[in-house]
This record gives sequence, structure tokens and C-alpha cells, in this order.
Amino acid sequence: MSFIQTEVDGVSTLFAEQSGPMIAGLTFRVGQADETLAGRGITHLLEHLVLHGHGLTDYHYNGATGVVITMFHLQGGEDDIVAFLNGVCDSLRDLPMHRLETERQVLRAEEGGRRGGPADLLALWRYGARGYGLTAYEELGVPRLTGEDLQRWAQFWFNRQNAVLWLAGERIPPALKLALPEGARRPVPEPTSALRGTPAFFRGNGSHVAYEGIVRRSVAGSALSGLLERELYRSLRQEDGNSYTAAATYEPRGDGYASITALADAVPDKEDAVLGGFVDVLAKLRAGRIDPADLQAVKAKADDAMRGPMVDVGRLPSLAMDLLTGFPLWPTEDIRAEMQALTVADVHAAALDMLATGLLQVPSGHDALWAGFEAAPVASERQVEGQRYPNRREGKLKLVVGPHGVGLEQDGCPPVAIGFHECAISLAYPDGGRQLIGHDSLTIRIEPTLYAVPPHELARIDAALAAVTVPQPPRDPRQIPRPDAPAPAGAPAPASAAGSGGRTGRLVGAVIALVLSVVVLCCGGLWTLVLNDQSDPDSSVPIDAYSIGINVFIYALAVGLGVFGAVLLRRRNRK
Amino acid sequence: MIDFDPAGPHEELRELRRAVTRQDWPAIAGFFGRISDPSDHEFAARLVADVAGSEGFLGEVAEREPGTLARTLLGTRLISAGWDVRTAARAKNVSRSQFEAFHEHLRRAERVLIEVTAEEPANATAWVARIKLNRGLQLGQNEARRRYDRLSRHVPHLYIAQANVVQQFCPKWSGSAEKVHAFGLECMRSGPDGSLASLALLEAHFELAFDLGRAEREQYWRRPDVRAEIEEAANRSVRHPAFRAGYRALTAHNHFALAFSQLGDHAAARPHFMAIGNHGSGFFWGYLGDEVAAFNAARAKAIKA
Repeated sequence: MSFIQTEVDGVSTLFAEQSGPMIAGLTFRVGQADETLAGRGITHLLEHLVLHGHGLTDYHYNGATGVVITMFHLQGGEDDIVAFLNGVCDSLRDLPMHRLETERQVLRAEEGGRRGGPADLLALWRYGARGYGLTAYEELGVPRLTGEDLQRWAQFWFNRQNAVLWLAGERIPPALKLALPEGARRPVPEPTSALRGTPAFFRGNGSHVAYEGIVRRSVAGSALSGLLERELYRSLRQEDGNSYTAAATYEPRGDGYASITALADAVPDKEDAVLGGFVDVLAKLRAGRIDPADLQAVKAKADDAMRGPMVDVGRLPSLAMDLLTGFPLWPTEDIRAEMQALTVADVHAAALDMLATGLLQVPSGHDALWAGFEAAPVASERQVEGQRYPNRREGKLKLVVGPHGVGLEQDGCPPVAIGFHECAISLAYPDGGRQLIGHDSLTIRIEPTLYAVPPHELARIDAALAAVTVPQPPRDPRQIPRPDAPAPAGAPAPASAAGSGGRTGRLVGAVIALVLSVVVLCCGGLWTLVLNDQSDPDSSVPIDAYSIGINVFIYALAVGLGVFGAVLLRRRNRK
Repeated sequence: MIDFDPAGPHEELRELRRAVTRQDWPAIAGFFGRISDPSDHEFAARLVADVAGSEGFLGEVAEREPGTLARTLLGTRLISAGWDVRTAARAKNVSRSQFEAFHEHLRRAERVLIEVTAEEPANATAWVARIKLNRGLQLGQNEARRRYDRLSRHVPHLYIAQANVVQQFCPKWSGSAEKVHAFGLECMRSGPDGSLASLALLEAHFELAFDLGRAEREQYWRRPDVRAEIEEAANRSVRHPAFRAGYRALTAHNHFALAFSQLGDHAAARPHFMAIGNHGSGFFWGYLGDEVAAFNAARAKAIKA
């Protein structure tokens, strides 16, 4: 063994002796999967707060919040490391609450800059809006977390028994004082499921294909991931030329299982062939047609990564996670030997496990029923009991509000329902709109502008969901749906441009009409004068029906133009 | 009396059909065991697939027999069975439940054949069926081409695969005139001499010409480039001294008989009618209306020429 297990201040410790720069970390068994959607982000917020404790202001980047573990780490001189780790523990006991609002803002800014990964949706569709599925969601809980919430979180999760210290260096620094509260080891959460069966597929809104399967944590699983990547790369990129990126990864979940995730993007318009090629690669694995030369290449690459003096140091963080999650600690030599002994049959067996649990994200406009995948659920099993309120814009859609939950109903469509006890979060807008997300990740919007739900009912819903309600900043008024407008959040600019164009046009028209009417009135007046002047029989116009008719006509025209102009003037401000 | 039975003059194919009807798996397996040519294998598989009601029997065999033959035949039969349900009516006359059943048959066929091609990448019959399924399941133009390319790595220049790609590339299946013509030329010019590879080019012309109104169609057949391409196709295939085509020789002669008749070159059509005898083949005669009547009319003109 090139690392030893020991203890520092009652904290389980992994120590690797090496003469290079000291590197150390304190890992706790808590992560995103332990949160709730309404409290999503609490671990990350706590991590930020801790790193701003006494004397720790230079270490903003030395924390990492993962799915099931959270880690504080540093590389440096022994004194720096001691100060850092002691400081982290002190900070956990005495959180710098004066920094809370600042760190809340920092997290919001970080979130704004965060780009989601193309495989994010897989977790959401597999696990729903809780547990391991929370990695797919933004840190929606951050706005409402209080100092007490954070204290409790720190107390419960960041305790002595739920921590592992890992350290590589010449010695374990004697000055380490890891003053953590007493507590207990916290097991990883049970995986939840939003799927009814696997293999399953869902439609993404891009052109890429993503896939995930679950295998037992093993060397065979890790090799399978390497093989899958080789097959996808060779088939989709090298042979077909339809993908640029084709890759696969292997990630332990922390409960003895691991997730194999694969991704292939599509060159423009070629997503149909990328999907077909991906399906055929999976089928080839199911058939067990694994080339021994490919397996050899994967083994060689894995072996390379496990050689050299720094390997054991590099493994320390993942060994710490293993210790925290109850997984046996394997010496590097044992893993290498196991990898060497791996056969095609071993990898085939792992492939069958992966395929049986498969979840496939297909490009928009496609499906995978033809490939043996069932559609992942997009609806609930049954509707809630309650009063129906038709949508003012699309009457066939109804909001159902009942004593135990809310739902959306439409003839011919499967129901969408969220029971109050299954609601993961209610995003509450000051205008009264609410967005509910259920544990299964289905979403319902309650819009008071669209549904005539009485205020006391809305209040009752709010009361029932108080524990999971997160207040939101006011919405842009254009985002609030209007019952008469066809598109609530559509582009506002074209509408006002048309309006102002109409206004100007009518004003110009009014002015022209009024000017003309004055001109015509003058003509009429002139004609009347001419008619009245009967002094010279030779040059005067005779007064008869015809000439009088002309006069009347001219006056009428003048009046008509005047009225028209007045009307345009009045109407110029109407839409 | 012209007869469009695909078994044609081949008694062993009739016997194969009888074996399917009496559910004699050893006889069926024995027959396919003796076929080495991929085009003939696919031809015989289609014959089996056209036996109504055989999917039950083939399904049972597929459960218990090792290997891929039973599953390949089951897959091709499910395609035909699906089309039976859809009853070849025009889309707007097909009921919703008929469409559902049609798609369910095709999906089941595809799932079976995905496994077969994964186990046996050189299984031409299975790949050809998957190229056909690509249309019915609307899996996309590029995906059809990918399937053809995968097959071609093991069995290049397979006419019947090319014919299914021609169909996919037609405007009626979301392709285009340029695409289907270019593919036909590609098949003809990269295929070996004396093979059926030129037939794809003919089918491209048939599809484009019969898509036109009567007057435009006649103009189409009068184009010198079209005539030149068909001459080239004949020289590379049926007229070539090395021409061998197994069960599909009759298909080739039927195609050229039709093509030369449309071109108005009845003298050139004549040797093909002689070779055909009474064995019609290919659905393209049906584009002219009743296939028997169209065939007889064209043959009459050729005999007189």
C-alpha cells in the first residue's frame, strides 16, 4: 500500500508519503444529491461562506461541491495547509454570517455564467427533481436560505464522523486541529426514479444524442466506458463523418454503482444518421462483438494512467470518497492486476447491465421506439380531484385545483398532476404567478391572469406549499401571460412599431384632410360669390339646378373632408 | 399468359413457398444453406415474406433456433405483414388503428433486424430490409445512406439495396430529383461489369419519368442524355458477356424491356421480351396501369418491330 489509513483528531485520514509539495483536503459526505429542490444550492452556499471565514480570504477556489461529497483542498507549504484546514473547521463552527448576502449574490452571478452540459438532462429524466436529479437544476433554493438553515446544514453534515482528511507530503502536520462537531457518518441517498421502465428515451431540443446506463462499480465498467467511446468515435466520427465529438465517461455514483454517460454531437442536418449509428453501436455491444484488440487498447490506456509516482497522490480524493461512502479501498496494484485480467466476457456482462438501464436522449423531431426504447413518462398516472378552471386563452386546457394538489387537464392528453406532498418547489412571483415542479420533474404554471381561481384558493395553495416556496424577483410585465394576446412572452418591439406607425399615418391623414376641406370650402365660397354676381348677363353663370348642385356638392365635400379629418385626429391614439 | 409470380420458372422457389406454408423449417433452412449469392438470398427471403400468415410460425422458430436465419426471415415477413394491414391504400384512406398496427409491425421488424445486423454485419438480406424500414419508419435520408454504406462495406454494389436507396431518395420520400439521379449514376458507374448495378439508374429514371404528366413524360424519354444513360446501362449489364444475375436476371430483362419500350425503341426491347418469356417481374409495369395489360401492349409492339 502506498497510502496508509490513520486518524487525526478523530477524523479518518488517508496519508500518502511523498517528498513533493504538500497537498491536502478535507472531504465531507454531503453534496447536491442530499439537497432538496427548494433548498438547492445550500451546500455550495455553505462552502462559499466557509471559505470566507477568518483568514481564509485568499482561498476562494479551494472548495468543490460535488454530487455526494464536498471538499476543501489546498496545495502549499505545511504552515499554509495547517492554517487552511484549521480555518475551515473553525469557520464551520462559526459561520461568517455577515457574508451571507454577498455570497448569495456571488452564487447568483456564478449561476448566470454557468453553461449547462449537453448531458445534463439525463439526470433529470432518470431521477426526477430530487436526489441525483438535482444536479440538472439551477440553485433555486439560494434566495430563501437563512442563517439558521445554514447552521443546521453545517451541524448535520459537516461533522467529525462524516469527514475524511487526505494528505500527501513528508509528514502529517502535528499542528493540525480539526475541531469539528460530533455527529455521524451520513449514508448516500437512495436513488429515486422518474422512469417507469428502461431502456427509455426522451426528446431533447438539440441535435445531439446522449445516453446513460448504470453499472456496478467495477473495473469492467470502467473498461466498458473506454470501449464505448472507441466504438462511437470510430463509427460516428471516423467512418461516417457525422459527429465531431463522440465520447463516454465513467463516474461512480457513491452507492456501489456507476454511471456510464456517452455523447455524440451531429454535423448539421446529420442527426438522423448519428442516432442510427449510435443505436447500432449499442446493439453491437449487446451482441458481444467486442474486438479483443480494442479491449487491449483500453486496458493499455488505463494502465498507463495508473503508473508513476504521483498516481497514489492523485487517487487520494477519490479514495477519500470511497472511504466516506463505504467502498473498500483498493491499492493501485490490485486495480491494475484486475484490469489486466479483464476478458471480453466480463465487459460484455457489464454492457448488458448498462443496456438494461439505458436512457437515451434523441434529437428533436425523432424517437427511439423503433430501437426498442419506451417513451419516458411526460405525464402523471392520474389527475387530482378538484375544481376545473378553463384557460382564458385556450379553453380546452384546464387548471384543476383540489384539496390535495393541482393539475393540468386537456381532452385527449394524459394528465399532469402535482400533489402538494409531491411538490418539490413553488417559484412564487410577486404578480401572483406560481411555477410548481413535482418530484417527477413535471411542471405546472398557475397564472391568475389566465385562470379564474378565487384568491382564497390561491392562498390555500400557497399555505400548502409554504415549506417549498421560493420567492422570485418581479417578472418583466411582458412575461406575464395576457388572456387576449396570442403570445405572452413574444417580441414586444414589433407591436409598438406598428402602433407608432399607425399613429403618425393617421395624424398626417388628418392634417391633409382638414387642409383640403378648408381649400374646398374656399372654392365653395368663391362659387357662391360667382353665382351671386348676376350683374353682367354675358359673363355671369346662370343660376339653375346644375350650378346650384355644383355649389352644394362643393360645400358637402368640404364638410365631408372636415369630418374625416376630425375623425382621424381623434382616432390617431387608438390602437 | 404473362405471369408476375416472383418464383418465375424456378421450381425450387415454388417448393420453398410450399415449405413455408407447411411450416417445414428444416427444408427452409436447407434451401437457404445452399444459397451463397446475397442477391439470391434476399430474393428468396422476400418470397418467404410474402406468404400470408407466416409470421406466427417464423416467430416460434426464431425463439428456439440459434443463428440469424429465422430472425432475418421473421423481420422481412413483419414488413410485409405491416403493409398487409395498411392495405396499400392511399394514406388518407387508412384508419388510425391501421396506421398504428402498421407502425407496430415495422418497429418490431426493425428491433429484430437491429440485433441481426449487430451480430452479422454482412447479412445483406437484413440490411436491405432495414433500408426499406428506414422509409416506413421515417428515419431520415442520411440514415438510409448510412445503412447502405454499412452493408456496402461487406457486400458492395448490391442492386436490391441500391433500389431501396433510390426509393428513399425520390422526391415522394423527401429526397430530390438530383439526388436520385446522381445516386443511380454512382451505382452504375462504380459497379462491376456484367452486374445488376446499372438497374438502379434505370429505376431512377422510371421514378422521375412516371412522376410527370403524360406529355412531359414523353418528352423525358426523348431526351438524348436519358437514352444515352440507358444504353450505357444495358451495355454494362444485360448486354455484357459476363452478365450473371441469378434469380434477378428476369428483373433486369423486365426493366430493360420497359425502358426501351418507353424510349420507343421497340427493336431494342425485343430481345428482352424474348428472354422474359412469360415471366413478368418488378412493380414498374404497374406504373402504367394494369401491369398485365401494360406488359402485353409493350410486348406486342416489340414483337412487331
